[in-house]
Amino acid sequence: MEDVCCPRCKTTRYRNPALKLMVNVCGHALCENCMDLLFVRGSGACPECGIALRRSNFRTQMFEDSGVEKEVDIRKRILREYNKKEEDFGSLRKYNDYLEKVETIIFNLTNGIDVEHTKKLVEQNKKDNQELIKKNRMKLSHDEELIEALLEEEKQNQSQNRLQAQREEEWERRQKRKQKEALIDDLMFLDMPADRIVQSHRQEVTSMGGRKDHPDGMPPAPPPPITRFSTGITLHHGQQHGFIPVPKQEVGEMYQYQPLVLTQLGPDVPNDECLITNNYVARVRPATTQEEAGGYRAVFACHRSLQDAFCGLFFASADLLQVTSMATGQSTAQTSSGHSSMDIG
Amino acid sequence: MFPSSTQLKFWTYSGTAELNRLRIEANQQFVQKYGREYNEVSRNEFFLNTAEETKIRRHYEYVLKEFCNGFQPTMPRYVLGTAMMYLKRFYLHNSVMNFHPEDIVYTCVYLACKVEEFNVSILQFVANVKSKREEMAEMILSQELLLMHELHYHLTVHGPLRPLEGLFIDIKTRCPDVLETEQLRRGAEDFIDRSFHTDACLIFAPSQIALAALLSCSSKFGLNLDSYVANKLVVSSDKEDMMKMVENIKRINLILKTTETLDRGQVKELLAEAGAMSQPGEQPQE
Repeated sequence: MEDVCCPRCKTTRYRNPALKLMVNVCGHALCENCMDLLFVRGSGACPECGIALRRSNFRTQMFEDSGVEKEVDIRKRILREYNKKEEDFGSLRKYNDYLEKVETIIFNLTNGIDVEHTKKLVEQNKKDNQELIKKNRMKLSHDEELIEALLEEEKQNQSQNRLQAQREEEWERRQKRKQKEALIDDLMFLDMPADRIVQSHRQEVTSMGGRKDHPDGMPPAPPPPITRFSTGITLHHGQQHGFIPVPKQEVGEMYQYQPLVLTQLGPDVPNDECLITNNYVARVRPATTQEEAGGYRAVFACHRSLQDAFCGLFFASADLLQVTSMATGQSTAQTSSGHSSMDIG
Repeated sequence: MFPSSTQLKFWTYSGTAELNRLRIEANQQFVQKYGREYNEVSRNEFFLNTAEETKIRRHYEYVLKEFCNGFQPTMPRYVLGTAMMYLKRFYLHNSVMNFHPEDIVYTCVYLACKVEEFNVSILQFVANVKSKREEMAEMILSQELLLMHELHYHLTVHGPLRPLEGLFIDIKTRCPDVLETEQLRRGAEDFIDRSFHTDACLIFAPSQIALAALLSCSSKFGLNLDSYVANKLVVSSDKEDMMKMVENIKRINLILKTTETLDRGQVKELLAEAGAMSQPGEQPQE
């Protein structure tokens, strides 16, 4: 194998096993020590091509071919800006054209073809699509979502299996202990010869082992993992396409306040003020200090009693109404001569 | 307020005729449901008719009243009124043969205690029962929901006692020349007590019963409250409204007068007869 070598100090991995090659945007490698030395101030020129580099842009070299490394680097940078998604295009054809364009740009930059023009193109794109780029950066593409969902599912399955295995193991252990205890019990209390008892137990154990697949008393399998909310919406975002549209709210007629009309069916009840000024309140038990602290006033009881006494006084059921309407003709004549008709009681 | 209450909307009827019709219906319903295998004659013999049912029901109204009056700790009177109302409402749509009034009476009182905020525990409550206290407690608790259901959960009852109080306040304030108002209280409350044993509370407004009570006992005392009623109470009202009121008060008095006293010895016989009928298994419970 060709030995890895730093182009500047010529150190090889053979001489320094801890050799770590770093690479920058230009694609030329440099070992870690040289990098520390050259870029003490944070920036400097590449010793091979003289391009201005920044120390923070150095990365560990992953590929032996520095060209690949450079391409990966450029691709990463370009894709960060050319990040339109399939949904942003009208048709698949247009999307594919776009991808083609991106590939061309990357190829040009990597291989130094028409660099100035390509760079201008990239700048222009960045300026034009600033908003969209920013937005798309936050979004996961469909593929990414799918992958994430798959990973999630796999994780769940794993934990499920682990749990199941644990349960089985636990059950087996308990079973074994039980058998052992049974054997000892039998040996202690049964009158049979010991070897026969041991033999019968062994048989039992083997027969148990035979039907291990369906052991009775086996703990039930854990419930299937929850894949949807109680409302029926699936949990994984992988299967969920966007948001559920907000149900359109029917706008009813505007509420109109209608004052509450209470039918008294009786003479009017004096209001609270009137109850106090006319000394109605003096007829009921005055409120104690404790009651007043709780918000009770004697006037409440007074008002309620009077209200109950007055309302409903003129109540009459439908049948009675007919009777009275017939009778009014005669009785008005009586009542008109003073209120002497009140001979009730 | 009574005018906006369920009492007016659902539990106030036009008169004795309608009440009797409902009771006959309840009785007929029961007889038809459980009396298929009897022929006409034996059916009439075996089942209670409405008149007999009414006697039993009225007997238990007295049982209820005695229970309430002997209750320890002393029970406010309005609890009695509410319980009585529950009992009446319950047997408007149910037959005495279907639910034994003995059970329903105690359940009514227990429920009334709760609704009227007269706070007693079930243990305190059954301490007032002479025997089988634990069974009684269990029975009350199990029947309570049934009772509420049959009452359609219309639990607020407007009794005539508070209106009476209101009338007293009004008279004392507006007619200070009527001196012995407090003397009237006893008579008026007696009148209301008697009205509990009639159908008045299912037909009239509680304030009308209260006014009728006041007027009837004032006339016994030789006081004339007519001028108060005419010149103060309803002074600015319609003639027609007033006529309705006067008419209703007359009807209340009439009902109280015509409701004859119950011969309780006769009821005992009836009960013995009914008791023979309601053997376990024979008495269907819904």
